[in-house]
Formats: sequence, structure tokens, C-alpha cells
Amino acid sequence: MYELNICHLYPDLLNLYGDRGNIIALKRRLQWRGIGVTVSDISMGDEFNAENYDIIFLGGGQDYEQEIIQDDVLNQKGNEIKNAIANDKVVLAICGGYQLLGNYYKTWDGKEIEFLKALNLWTIGGKDRMIGNFCFECDFLTSEEYDGKIVGFENHSGRTYLGQNVKPLGKIVKGYGNNGEDGLEGATYKNVFCSYSHGSLLPKNPAFTDHLITLALKQKYKDFVSLQKLNDEFEDLAHNTMVQRIFG
Amino acid sequence: MNLRLTFTIIITKIMISILRVFKSGGTTLPGKIARKLYPDVVKVIARDFKTIMVTGTNGKTTTTRIIGEILKVNGMNYITNKSGANLFGGIITTFIDSVDIHGKGKAPIALIEIDEAAFNVVSDYIEPDVLVVTNFFRDQLDRYGELYSTLNSVRSGIKKSGKTMLVLNADDSLCASLGKDTDKQVTNYGFDTNAYQSKEKQVNSDAMFCIYCKTKYDYESHVYGHLGNFACSSCGYRRPDTGVTCVKVEELNTSYSNILFSVNSGQNQDESTMLQAKINLPGLYNIYNALAAAACGSVLGLPAANLVEALENFECGFGRMETISTHGKNIKVILVKNPTGFNQVLSFLLTEEKNTQIAFLINDKLADGTDISWLWDVDFEKLENAQKTIDNFYVSGIRAEDMAVRLKYAGIYSSKIHIIKNYEELLAKGLSNTEAGHSFYILPTYTAMLDMRKLLKKKYGLKEFWK
Repeated sequence: MYELNICHLYPDLLNLYGDRGNIIALKRRLQWRGIGVTVSDISMGDEFNAENYDIIFLGGGQDYEQEIIQDDVLNQKGNEIKNAIANDKVVLAICGGYQLLGNYYKTWDGKEIEFLKALNLWTIGGKDRMIGNFCFECDFLTSEEYDGKIVGFENHSGRTYLGQNVKPLGKIVKGYGNNGEDGLEGATYKNVFCSYSHGSLLPKNPAFTDHLITLALKQKYKDFVSLQKLNDEFEDLAHNTMVQRIFG
Repeated sequence: MNLRLTFTIIITKIMISILRVFKSGGTTLPGKIARKLYPDVVKVIARDFKTIMVTGTNGKTTTTRIIGEILKVNGMNYITNKSGANLFGGIITTFIDSVDIHGKGKAPIALIEIDEAAFNVVSDYIEPDVLVVTNFFRDQLDRYGELYSTLNSVRSGIKKSGKTMLVLNADDSLCASLGKDTDKQVTNYGFDTNAYQSKEKQVNSDAMFCIYCKTKYDYESHVYGHLGNFACSSCGYRRPDTGVTCVKVEELNTSYSNILFSVNSGQNQDESTMLQAKINLPGLYNIYNALAAAACGSVLGLPAANLVEALENFECGFGRMETISTHGKNIKVILVKNPTGFNQVLSFLLTEEKNTQIAFLINDKLADGTDISWLWDVDFEKLENAQKTIDNFYVSGIRAEDMAVRLKYAGIYSSKIHIIKNYEELLAKGLSNTEAGHSFYILPTYTAMLDMRKLLKKKYGLKEFWK
């Protein structure tokens, strides 16, 4: 029997705007297919050994909580997170977690906060928040059956820019995305996926969830071919209702 | 005579009357226009009132109403913004609606529920005599920014209010911090360590780490959410002593609670009166609302016995658990607006024994919060094992489909989840599946509640909401 181990990093601190829905979505979609799944909560001061996990999730937090984990993430868990990325583990990072994987965060008044430097990207704080329902298109999800659209809710003041070797997760169809300027949203590098989409990204975008699960299973099991289809009536309804609303 | 004041009052009063004729409530717009005509209008009018303000993220309306009941029992007349019109415009409307054309009030006291994000602005114009703060939980963050900004905005409003007496929730480390290092008179309320011990684990607590030094709090006891007897081992910040204390929760069920509580008589900490009260509202959160109101009454120097009478008299407020009986069945409407409140409502629904129908009405208009991601922070998973007693889950409102997804991922069978967008159809379906003597629970977000209430009013004659 196949089995995946999911690590939820800092679930008690990086848990803004329903980000834990992503863990719930991964877990359920594995269970519904009879694939074994364990979720480990790893937080401040806990030992983190990336080798034990197949999927690692980092959510977003408020500034206050991000300050609390700053030291732990840079000095205790940083190297293991980088190892995980180098070893092609599947990583999903949202908002604050996304920024944290980058080089630095420069606040709007010029203070520079050092980040992990796991991905070549950086964030500049802005005074205005970019808030609202948004939609972007991902090439890697586009197929004959699926138009590659992802819907979500963004809420961030940081503007993120991508450097060399890092690709955007998708192209903005409606909304702000990384910085409200270049029409790009999120980032990918190896098996790392980053996005500004809160509101729980995965439940309403089952194609993306299954893409992450497939990658993780292929990485772990040489004989794994493809996932069994599920009845996604409600998920598709929620997804399509939002797409229709965004496009009027 | 202040002509500009009189002119503004007359124009505003006319607008209020016109809007009422058209049944649109007329609770916010007139005040907004009044402010344009005469920016200081509310400053001038409010001067003559003794003002009590109630703010915080959860429980403002109920707490305000209980305080109203306390004033009533003590024979004190007051004006209040009953309909939840708690932004600046609504507050101005309330004041103008209750004065004569010269700006003189018909009652000596103004009891004002105020939005936690609006307080800082309003405090430039009105200095409350008493400010009651209920709590700080995550609530509609897309509108207000982060929880700590909301807290600091209230803090800055307090700094501007010179003579204000504070009534604070001691068990909420965020709320209680408003009373630390302040020159104001502070009265705290909360649960005694032995009053109640929570069986629920803390999921996604809003404040686990010390607000001053970021060390994880130790809890001697825990009530719900992040409320409890907290202490920071590093900097020494801890739950302050309370003037009004729930000593024991003796009974807690789906309709009411019985509590034992004590009230210290201000000057002498040793002189406390022990009282027993029945609170005619379910849930721990309503015990907190009752304590907040009792603490306000105690600050006003009102007799303790009258507090008990008021708590027992109290009837449910606007959408905060209203019951309509029809053909031997009950329709119960409970407003939901954030994870903590929602979790409390779910816990109490789980105490129903059989044949329960639940409808979730989720909208995402501005007043509901445009971001519905908080639904993923609500612990719907606890409904998974209650599917024997809950027959049907109906989902409706603008975001019905998202709610259906949420329930499915909480482990509810898809066959039990029904999307019904039309409220009339929803009401008919829910009631037809409810057996006599049982309840159909409707859990709407704010604007969904307004719409559902319109329908219930048409069918069963609920009161106009501004009355």
C-alpha cells in the first residue's frame, strides 16, 4: 500500500486565513483513494528531519508570528528545508511561507529582514494591501480536460519578485499576484510550489492538489503510475462558480 | 442657539423618517450625511450623555443588550444603537434620532455598540465614560488588517479618552493588555481557575505567545479559544485579578447556563458578594458576555441583586439565537461570523439528541468579510461523528458551494449535503424534514441573516430590526 508523510511546519503559528485547509485537502484526497497518510505537526523547537516527509507545507502568519519563528526557521530548520528542496521533495508554501523561502524581505521603510535563500526571490513590503478573489493560469496543469485555472483569495502587502532559475507558478488572469506589476503569480522551483493564494488553495483546485500528490508518489514509489479519479462535483462547482463570478 | 446643529439635526431626522417609510432601516446613511453637513455634530450632541461603549471582536451585540437590560432593571433610561449599526455613521444616526432639534437628549445615558475598527476614529469625537471590551479573536481580517493592528487601534483610541473607565476581559491576554500600564480605572472580569475546565484542545489559537516578549504562555486553566488563566514565565505578564468572576459553571446546556459569580465592591477587594444567576443564553461565550455586562453594572455602582435579575430577564438579540415556533417545530437562527464563535455554536449543536437539520448561509459581502477562508479554521470535523443525530446539512448563500466543499472535507457524506440557493425553498425543505418538537437551525453570516430575517418576517412576523 502506498503511503505519504506530510509535514505541517509551524501549524500553531503560520495558520492565517484557513491555510490548514490545504492539509485537510491533501489528507482527504489520499484517504478517499485508500492511500495511507500521516500528518506531523512540527513547530518551534521541534526536531525536523526532512527525510521523513514526502510533502512539506508552510502557511502564512501575521507579522508578529513570523517574527517569533524567524530564529527557529533560519538557524534550526533552514538547512533541512534546503535539503528537502534539493532532494526533490514536494513543498507547498503560501504567502508568508512563500516569502520566507526567498532571499529577504525589505519593509516599506527600508529595514531588511534576512530570509532562507532557498529560492532566488525577494519581497518588498508595500503600504497598500492587495486583497481580493483572484485567478491565475498554470501551464503545468493545462490539459485536454482542464484549462489550468486556479482560483483563490489573495491578501498581502509584500511584493515579490523572481530571480534566475525560479519560474512563476502561473500567469494572472484577474487580480494582483506577486507584485501587481508583472502579471505573474507564485513561484516554482524543482518540486517547490509557492503562492499568495489563501482561502485554502487546494480544496477548490483539486487538479492542483492531485498534481502535488502525484509528484510525491512518483518521487517515493518507482512503480506508481497515476491517481484514481474522484467524484469532484462540489469542488468543481465551487471552482466554476468563482471563475464565472470573476469573469462576469 | 446653534443654527448649524439644528439644521443638521432636522435634515438628518427627515432622512431617517423617509428611509424608514421605505423599510430600508435607515440606520447608517443619515449619520454619514450629517457628518458631511457638520463634522462635529456628534461631539456636540454626545457631550450631554453619560456614554457606555461596548467593543471587541465577538459578543458586542449581546453584551450591549444585557447592559441595556441592567439599566432597565435599575430604572435608568438610555438610548442605544440596537440594530448592529455600529460604525460611525450608524452611531451618529442613533444620537440624532434620539435628541430634539436643539440637540437635547431624551435620556441621560447612551449605550453604544461600536465596531472595534471604528472605535479609534469615534474616540476623536466621543469620550466614553465606560468602555467595555469583550475579546479579540480573528475576525474578518481582510477588512481590518491583522489582529494586532485591531488591538493597537483600540489601544490608541483608549489613550485619547481621558476619563474612561475600562471593563476588560482578564482571560484574554490581548484584551487584558489594554489595562496594563494605563492611568485609567480598570475592572476585569473572567473565569476563576476552578470554574470550568475545557475538554476541547486548542486549535489555531489566536494568541499563544506573550504579547510582550513572545514566550509561549502557560495556562493554569483554559476555557475556549485563547481564553483562560494565562501566565508568561519569562516576563511575568499574567492574567490580572478580576473584579467580577465566574466562580463555577453549574449547568451548561442548549438553552441556558447556571453560574455562580462574585462581584467585588471596588474599593475593598475582600468585600465580595457571591451570586447565583441563570443566563438565558447557551454557550460559554454568553457567560463571558454576561460577566462583561455585570462588570459594567458594577462599575456604574448598580446593586448586585439587580444584575442577577437583568441576566435572568434577558431575551435574545438580533440574530444572536432567535427562536421562532411554527406548528410545534422550532426555527433557530444563530449568527456566525468567525471561527471561535462558529466553533462554540457547533459544540452546542452537538448536544442536540436527534433529528437535527442545519443550514449554513454563507455570504461574502463587505459586512460578512469578503474572504471566506476562515471557514477552514472552523472545526467542522467535530460534526463527522454526529451524522446520526444530524439528518441534513443545507448550504446556501453566495458561497454555498464553498461551504459544501468545506463540509465534504470535514468528512460529511456528500449525500447529506444539499445546495439550495433559494431561501424560501430552503426554509420549506428544512421544516418539512423537521419533526414536531425538534429544531431547524439556521446559521447565517451577517448579510445572509438580514435576507433570511426579511423572509422570516414576511412569513412569521418578526419585529422590525430597528425597533
